[in-house]
Amino acid sequence: MDRLDAVSSLKYFVPELVLVLTLIGVLLCDLISKNRAPMERRLLIVLPSLFGLLVALFFSVSIYFSASGPDPSDAQALFSNMVAFDGFGSLLRILFIFTAIIILLFTIESRELRSVHHGELLVLLLTVTVALIWMANSINLLMIYLALETVSVASYIMVGYLKTDRLSNEASLKYILFGAVSTGTMLFGLSLLYGLTGSLDLYEIRAALMSEQVVASSGPALMVIIVLVLAGIGFKTATVPFHFWCPDVYTGAPTPVTAFLSVGPKVAGFAVLVRFFYGGMASSTGEQTWTMVGSVDWQTILMGISIITMTLGNIAALLQTNLKRLFAYSSIAHAGYIMMGAVALSDRGIKAMLAYVVVYLFMNLGAFLVIIVVHNNTGSFDIKDYAGIWRRSPMLTIVMGIFLFSLMGIPPFAGFLAKWYVFAAVIQAGLVWLAVIGVLNSAIGAFYYVKILKTMFMEGSDTAEPSSKLELHPLYAVLLFVLVVPNIVGLLLWGYLDRVTEYSHKLLDVM
Amino acid sequence: MEDLAPKIIFWVFAALMLGSALIVVAGKNLVRSAFALLATFFSVAAFYVMLGADFLAGAQVLVYVGGILTLILFGVMLTNRIYSLELNTPRFQVVPGALVSAAIFMILVTVVRVTPWKQASIVEEGPTTARIGQALMNQYVLPFEVASVLLLIALLGAAMLVRRRTDL
Repeated sequence: MDRLDAVSSLKYFVPELVLVLTLIGVLLCDLISKNRAPMERRLLIVLPSLFGLLVALFFSVSIYFSASGPDPSDAQALFSNMVAFDGFGSLLRILFIFTAIIILLFTIESRELRSVHHGELLVLLLTVTVALIWMANSINLLMIYLALETVSVASYIMVGYLKTDRLSNEASLKYILFGAVSTGTMLFGLSLLYGLTGSLDLYEIRAALMSEQVVASSGPALMVIIVLVLAGIGFKTATVPFHFWCPDVYTGAPTPVTAFLSVGPKVAGFAVLVRFFYGGMASSTGEQTWTMVGSVDWQTILMGISIITMTLGNIAALLQTNLKRLFAYSSIAHAGYIMMGAVALSDRGIKAMLAYVVVYLFMNLGAFLVIIVVHNNTGSFDIKDYAGIWRRSPMLTIVMGIFLFSLMGIPPFAGFLAKWYVFAAVIQAGLVWLAVIGVLNSAIGAFYYVKILKTMFMEGSDTAEPSSKLELHPLYAVLLFVLVVPNIVGLLLWGYLDRVTEYSHKLLDVM
Repeated sequence: MEDLAPKIIFWVFAALMLGSALIVVAGKNLVRSAFALLATFFSVAAFYVMLGADFLAGAQVLVYVGGILTLILFGVMLTNRIYSLELNTPRFQVVPGALVSAAIFMILVTVVRVTPWKQASIVEEGPTTARIGQALMNQYVLPFEVASVLLLIALLGAAMLVRRRTDL
């Protein structure tokens, strides 16, 4: 692995540079267009944002393919070991930019955001996107903290974007309070880790933890460090016991922002988890499995968190009557499934996590888009107001059905593939009973997903005009199509996804 | 005798810091809490001086005492009827809270005592500014730039939150 200085790192850093330039450009566009007509002004900020994101997407995809091949010696450490450049990060970079494009298009016709100016929202979206990329690529404690804080601060503002909406304000405030506490807790853990090892570099930390003198007597300290650091990661991934903010924030935030939070920061949180534990606290055995470094059994801790997270998320989701709240708990449960991949301590586990987040992106964003479309028409997030949707728009019901079946993990759809990967990884690691708990949880999950679908087919008794068609904006129709197709043909893409993850998981062992 | 002086200074400032921090948290008068925070920040700066981090100590005084605290005081004093305001800080679950805090304190103290912390090699004393500047421009140039994005976005968010709805 090469260790590059700042100047020679730049050529691996093009997408991030494009995104930062775009966000500054959009900020300026927003300022100079102040006196123009609203529609014209909207275009002047949406088009540059979209253009910048597309250019960044183009560069990330070309970087991904040019760094092609299964040769892990392509991995680089950029900016004097601050961020990694490898297959893992390259895949996640594409994923984050793609998510940002989808969310940008979500915001355009959303009823909640109709009355507010979008300028700052798009700047914030671009900032979070680039910070998510930094977060997923950091291999230095300082960079992990800074990227995480940038994501958090921008997310707080996005959640509270509807200034006149009381729920949005409340959500933002709760998010800030929880975020500040958990980031501070994590920072304390990182400072202890620095005190123990004398380094901020994850790979130097691993080397220090492997020395016999440290292994012999650092058990309690390492235990405290891991618990404290998990507070920060758990907050971002919304895993129990750091999930309390999740339902309120998801309900109060504008729905496009909720959709973004349920994918972007969560996936980046898991990337940090993998970088931190597999980069700093485990070493590859060379036979596709990993062993833990140091004297603390963090595999068991992660396993406990995973089980509690999915069980609690699924059971709490059963009781919800508000769809955004239900999806908050559903996303908590999915965090539990994704965490199972990290528990497996194998290459296969990391591959499973990558496959899961790719599929999760499509099914979860799709479900949120249906929520936005229904809210645009009915102005409600209550499940009971979904009664009669089948009569008003059969297509939308079918599409929602596909997203929900995919979230359940029913075979013909992509969600099954994701779950299959994760369960196979833990079974291969010898944790059969963990897979059994996962399957049981999927069964519980099916209840509330089916409940939504059942309501959509029911007759809407109290709707004034039950026969009126739901309006579907052409832009949203195209987006629904883009999101639903991968869910349907998921099983056909099995081989492709396998190849992508095969290349992408090769990251950490060489460093 | 030579070893004694730094120890005394350390304990004096430690007592000052903890005592004033307690007033900040438990005090019922907002102005008094704000002024107690001043003592806390100064004590932290004193620790930086004792560690030979001259630039950090200066920055601590300039930024926290000079900037942030002054702003807080301005905010507090410009608020109407601030002197008669009684802070309403009800106490919930005193006993369980105290038990949990005591347990965490015991765990942390034990960890600090038993762990073989990495001993830094004694560095030469002297001005650190040049070394910090070089580190920021070489090894830490990316975090430096990321911090600037973070500050930009914080500024944007603050401006957005205080702006009136009419002048969008």
